[in-house]
Amino acid sequence: MQFESEAQRVLDTAAQGGAQYADVRFGQTRDEHLEVRNGVVSSLSDGESAGFSVRALVDGAWGFASSADIRDAELDRVAALAVAIAKASAKVRGHGISLVPVPPSVGSYATPFEVDPASVSLGERVDYLLSAEKEIRAVKGVTVARAWLDIWRTNKYFANSEGSKIDQRLLQCGSAIHALAVGERDVQDRCFPGTGGLYQTGGYEIIRKAKLLENARRIGEEAVALLDADQCPSDTTDIVLSGDQVSLQIHESIGHALELDRVMGWEANFSGTSFATLDKLGSFRYGSNQVNVVIDMTCPLALATHGYDDEGVAATPVDLIRDGILVGYMAGRDTAGTAKVGLSGCVRAEYWGRLPMIRIGNVNLEPGTVPAEHLFDDIKQGVYMESNRSWSIDDKRLNFQFGCQLGYEIKDGKKGRMLKNPTYAGMTPAFWRSCDAIGDAQSWVAWGTPNCGKGEPLQTARSCQGAAPTRFRNVSVGVAYGG
Amino acid sequence: MAGEFADRAALDAVLDRALAASNADETEVLIAASDSSLTRFTHNFVHESVTERNAQMSVRAVIGKRTGVAGTNRLDESGIAEVVKRAYEMAKLSTEDPMFPGLPASQDGVSEVPGSFDPATATATPEMRAAAVADIAKVMRVNDLYAAGYVSTQSDAFVIGNSKGVRRFHQGTDSAINVKAIGSDSSGYAEGFSKRFSDLEPTALAERAAKKAVAGKNPRALEPGKYTVILEAPAFREFLGYLSWIGFGAQPFDEGSSFLSGHIGEKLVGENVTVRDDYAHPLGSGIPFDFEGVPRQQVTLVERGVARSVVYDSYYAAKLHHANTGHALPAPNSEGPLPLNVVVDPGSTPLEDMIKDVQHGVLISRTWYIRLVDQKQTMITGMTRDGLFLIERGRVSKGLKNMRFNESIVGALGRCDLASALVRSESHVLPAVRIEGFTFSSGTEF
Repeated sequence: MQFESEAQRVLDTAAQGGAQYADVRFGQTRDEHLEVRNGVVSSLSDGESAGFSVRALVDGAWGFASSADIRDAELDRVAALAVAIAKASAKVRGHGISLVPVPPSVGSYATPFEVDPASVSLGERVDYLLSAEKEIRAVKGVTVARAWLDIWRTNKYFANSEGSKIDQRLLQCGSAIHALAVGERDVQDRCFPGTGGLYQTGGYEIIRKAKLLENARRIGEEAVALLDADQCPSDTTDIVLSGDQVSLQIHESIGHALELDRVMGWEANFSGTSFATLDKLGSFRYGSNQVNVVIDMTCPLALATHGYDDEGVAATPVDLIRDGILVGYMAGRDTAGTAKVGLSGCVRAEYWGRLPMIRIGNVNLEPGTVPAEHLFDDIKQGVYMESNRSWSIDDKRLNFQFGCQLGYEIKDGKKGRMLKNPTYAGMTPAFWRSCDAIGDAQSWVAWGTPNCGKGEPLQTARSCQGAAPTRFRNVSVGVAYGG
Repeated sequence: MAGEFADRAALDAVLDRALAASNADETEVLIAASDSSLTRFTHNFVHESVTERNAQMSVRAVIGKRTGVAGTNRLDESGIAEVVKRAYEMAKLSTEDPMFPGLPASQDGVSEVPGSFDPATATATPEMRAAAVADIAKVMRVNDLYAAGYVSTQSDAFVIGNSKGVRRFHQGTDSAINVKAIGSDSSGYAEGFSKRFSDLEPTALAERAAKKAVAGKNPRALEPGKYTVILEAPAFREFLGYLSWIGFGAQPFDEGSSFLSGHIGEKLVGENVTVRDDYAHPLGSGIPFDFEGVPRQQVTLVERGVARSVVYDSYYAAKLHHANTGHALPAPNSEGPLPLNVVVDPGSTPLEDMIKDVQHGVLISRTWYIRLVDQKQTMITGMTRDGLFLIERGRVSKGLKNMRFNESIVGALGRCDLASALVRSESHVLPAVRIEGFTFSSGTEF
């Protein structure tokens, strides 16, 4: 394995310095981004970054250091610095941090893919995006048309003082189109697929199956039509959310709420804590009986899928909510002991230079049994909402307000007039308890979220929340405009 | 250590090699080197402490009106050669942008902002950061509270050059302390920022946060509705940050989605409101040039309530036939130019007197998770956190449970009074503000 000898040098240095535990990650990332905007290539970039980091535990306190320079002298300096930082931390250490035992892992993982992005020329990629963007711009009234794609490659090697040695090669791809229409008094926009594109693990086939070109004209037309659509009324009513909007709802009101570091107060000053406190584990009704949520870092196609996390824990599915009851958390080796919950392999860093922490991985709402086209059937009066426009939730993940790009009235089980500026709001447990129907497996998609922020220094993570269109009863809608 | 890492001669040498290696018509090289450390704490102990050293180089190659950007942190001979080649290959395969004006040419020199670099901050140790945490924890224990937050120090260097003669270098330091004091049913917040770590006072910040947490015990619920509110600087900063993003850049202005589009010269907010972008403000942390190496201008965005200008980079200056104000972000960027050093001119009323003048209102210490609801109306939603208080008959009387607001930023600036003291909050410099008729739409459980 590449970096095996360098890793051993780092671990030896850390041990000699006094670390009771240490791990080291060498990483290389390469991120390609291509964006077209109103007929021209507005962004074409290809960035790479490489380096390593060391995490050392001394007397129950962590130290972490990283550097882009992997020459021997710097390996030694950074390893010693991580230990020195841990010793400084230990002077203000509280009860001390301990790790739950995990058997050493020796293995490798590579993202399966069908089409190597390197086999698709830059010219072909540019032509593809320009053709989709041109279709949007052909719609009269569109102010800005955009299309973009991303290809992200991550190679990393992990080793720790317990004998783990893991080599991984991850490949993630995504793409989207976006239409912006500017009116006299408002601005409307539409994105496809979903809220910000279809992002998954895999090769260039992920970009091809997004069908940007086939949907470009419709997206442009919807953005323009929204300018003249009726305002979504303020009311308490039944709603059906598109799968991508449910995905974001899961992310904000289940995913973040069930990160154990938040529950324990480790994010209290920034991302916040959680209403889902440890005393609720095993008994708290989080949602209706329909609601089953699992973190599954092995889920095919899902954006966060990998073989092992950044502390060497193998990806393992763990139930979070079963039949509506809170049964688990996302945990790391330094937090799992507190809640006595299993490890799913969800501790990740943004890149080689950052500290791994608990991140929303693939937090999936299991599909229900209702064909998506029948979710409207017994709604007398309600609203269908699609694709997110704004999202806000309090720092314990209770009070939320979300806005969507597109709405439709539902009347007597049928889709009615288009509605602009649809918003809905509520409190997390009451909202999930009001869920009475989830779309079936045919309508379930592993929706990726490429830009989840958490931690200080701030780190961006790529997560997935698989979801199908879902129905909720008696929800407050239109509240943002009700004042 | 940090000084060596950000050595100007070494960075210049890398930049020279990259420019010399390029076959493009025009080439721009940006190197950002950073040595940053952050010690984070909760429950009065250090649970994370990190340091990171990296230098990232970005090369923009221009062939005619086609551009490509490649980046790397391998600054050796082969890394430089490869990144220059990749940028060139991408530019070749890109499409022409008829509006691309070429890279900016060399202009007059820039004046460094005095005190940008503090050697003691650049070499601050983990022990010094841990000692600050210990000071904070001591205050908390006295008050039967615990704290969560961070202590950070960093040293940054930027070198920017292009094949048309532009060459800039900046080296700066920064530091911050962030404290959330936490009780059984309340919390309080305080923050401090400075280019000199020695300026920050952990004990004083801890006492400020603790005082809020103690005063906020046994919070009561507030009925949703319209209230007179006072936003302290950290809360007001989030409002201004959003306004900058959606309205003060040339891109949304050009597209018509900015609230300023078509309204330059019109009175949009109260006469007491003047908003500028000022990289050189002594309380701020600005850099005297932008990410194309163009000298930053001090730009008045809103003057006594009247819309005056947005900020420009070379692309939008050429497209909209306006002077370049020096507000480019690193290429490529899909946001257009943005103001990064927003300053709101102070009013004349001390915050304490402002509170005395409120018969029935609410004091907001900090906001959270603000998101845009309606761009044209500048309507945002968000939550309060870490210190929401009722003001009755001119006094902060009791703690409140947190509330959700839905409010137009521009609308609020039309019904406001600004406090007299300026403070730095992140990259902004601004006072506290009083707003009449502020809309709370719902509450939460804590």
